[in-house]
Amino acid sequence: MEKKSVWKRITGSREASLVLILAVMLIVVNILSGGTFLTLNNIYQIFLNNTLTMLMALGMLCVMLTAGIDISITSTLAFTGMIIGMLQKKAGFTNTLLLFLIAAVIGLACGFLNGLIISKGKLAPIICTMGFMYIWRGLAYVVSNNEWASGADVAHFAEFGKAGSPGPLIVLLVAYVFFFVLMKWTTFGRRIYAVGSNAEAARISGINVDAVITWAYTIMGTLAGIAGAMSVSIYASAQPNMQYGKEMDVIAACVIGGVSMNGGRGTVVGTFLGALFYAVLAKALPLVGLDAIWQNLIKGVVVLVVVLVNVITQRAMDKANLERREM
Amino acid sequence: MAGKSGREINATPQNSLKKKILSWEGGLVLIFIGVLIFGSVVSPSYTFTNVLREMPKYLAELFMMFAMGFILVIGEIDISVGAIVCLSATLTCFINRAGAPMVVQVIACLLIGLACGCLNGIIATNFTELPTMIITLGTQIIFRGIAEVSMGSGGSIALTDTAGFAKIGGRIGPFPIAFFLIILTAVIYIFVLSRTTFGRKLYAVGSNKTAALYAGIPVQRIRWICMTLIGLMAGICALFMLATTFGANTTTGQGFEMDVIAMCVFGGIATTGGKGNLVGATLAGFTIVCLRIALGQLNMSGQTILVIIGILLIASALIPGISQSISNKKKRAAV
Repeated sequence: MEKKSVWKRITGSREASLVLILAVMLIVVNILSGGTFLTLNNIYQIFLNNTLTMLMALGMLCVMLTAGIDISITSTLAFTGMIIGMLQKKAGFTNTLLLFLIAAVIGLACGFLNGLIISKGKLAPIICTMGFMYIWRGLAYVVSNNEWASGADVAHFAEFGKAGSPGPLIVLLVAYVFFFVLMKWTTFGRRIYAVGSNAEAARISGINVDAVITWAYTIMGTLAGIAGAMSVSIYASAQPNMQYGKEMDVIAACVIGGVSMNGGRGTVVGTFLGALFYAVLAKALPLVGLDAIWQNLIKGVVVLVVVLVNVITQRAMDKANLERREM
Repeated sequence: MAGKSGREINATPQNSLKKKILSWEGGLVLIFIGVLIFGSVVSPSYTFTNVLREMPKYLAELFMMFAMGFILVIGEIDISVGAIVCLSATLTCFINRAGAPMVVQVIACLLIGLACGCLNGIIATNFTELPTMIITLGTQIIFRGIAEVSMGSGGSIALTDTAGFAKIGGRIGPFPIAFFLIILTAVIYIFVLSRTTFGRKLYAVGSNKTAALYAGIPVQRIRWICMTLIGLMAGICALFMLATTFGANTTTGQGFEMDVIAMCVFGGIATTGGKGNLVGATLAGFTIVCLRIALGQLNMSGQTILVIIGILLIASALIPGISQSISNKKKRAAV
């Protein structure tokens, strides 16, 4: 009896089942790779390579909780990243903290614009962010003016994110702790959930729905801006086409982590596990003998299987509940 | 003339000229003419024949636009079409290299697209809880993944026997063959959407799925048909892509899904479903194609146009809402 309830608790909770799957995957991969997978260096690499996805997944969580979506994030990233790169190349900015601050402010402005148009203009989030996806990406090309900022131009700034530096990981840790507290224990966090679950009810109970939605997109934009600076720092280059199409990876990570596209459902822990799952998968495939070209195919299958299994278990649960009620 | 439900009820059709020009389609015609004038002013080589010569590069996308119109009208979205184009083009290249006759290649290209769309449709109808955005997000990665795996580490593949595709990319008089086919497709799609029961059912499904179901409309079958149809159109798009590029690589078709959705929205189709028509989308599609050609001849960096498309997209989606609130204010003031 006791065992069954533990089993039920694990299968019933999204986070617990993800931890279980992740643990099994890690052990299997570690055995298959002959113990070379779970080394400190490798784990560090996994986090470093996926810092951008993991950081932006937090913002995407906020946006998706309000039943929205933001596909302009990688364009915001490219736009801010390009500006950061050009500021170093042309204007000789070298202060790392200042550059990060500039990136965050630009991202904040981009996100605020998204939020304002979506909440006040009553635009479908996907359309509005698609528009800005084009605009910021186009402006990134305008800013670049057919030039790249590469290794030598950003040498000092790249110190922050080069292999071995703890910088990106500290930023990630701080961001996740901050958001964990924000979403769980602050009024603002709970308001996001309220708006996402039932916007009408939230409005009637006195929550300024438009403001909450605007904030969600502003947070997303700020994180995308910071990710833009981070990208320049980690890859030691700024190109206008950076991270093209990667917004789908961020959304996929959230979806695997159990964030619902209909709003109101999803947690910071789930998002973290989803992003980590996605990251480990990418790193593990070459180690178990699959070429890198198989990555996308397998990632896609995983995303699809996860969402389908989710629906099937939900159906089974609903059915079981119904049967219990009938008795 | 608001009914009890607050919706506009137009008992008498209003056909005055002023109304026609002020309608969305009228505005698009004006913008289209504006783009043509802009093009011929800024560039002396922006002539009729030159535009038609440049056109095939951009036309292939338009095939998918019509089917995307259907999908948006029923309130769904499909972001996997770009990946379907990639997969379809890649596999057709393999069939071409194996030396299959042209007819087989064409049929295979269409069938691959159809099969991908059909898969999307089957998942969407069997797992109705899932938004189509998530489903096609997953299949998008899978379709492109299959193309990447089959292309191997090189990441690109070319046709060996290009004669047949050169014929498809050919022209009758000054017009490319694709142009005639686009017009034909447009006529068929516009007719189906606005003049047949099937077309009206799409609006019913898009306006209110539950009500449509209780009115006896096979909602799930219609969703399946629309998703399969866009797969087929993606196959056609792949065919005409191959006729201009004679090969495929891992980035083939990247961003196409966003382009066609943008064209539809610019043409007045709402992503919330049940609103808009394909006349507007067709005009919008040609406007964007002509704008691209004009900016291309200006030697402007190809990416600058992204900014313009983005602004057009947001503006065209914002304007109905703004004009609605203005007319509401007027009404309130009149009362």
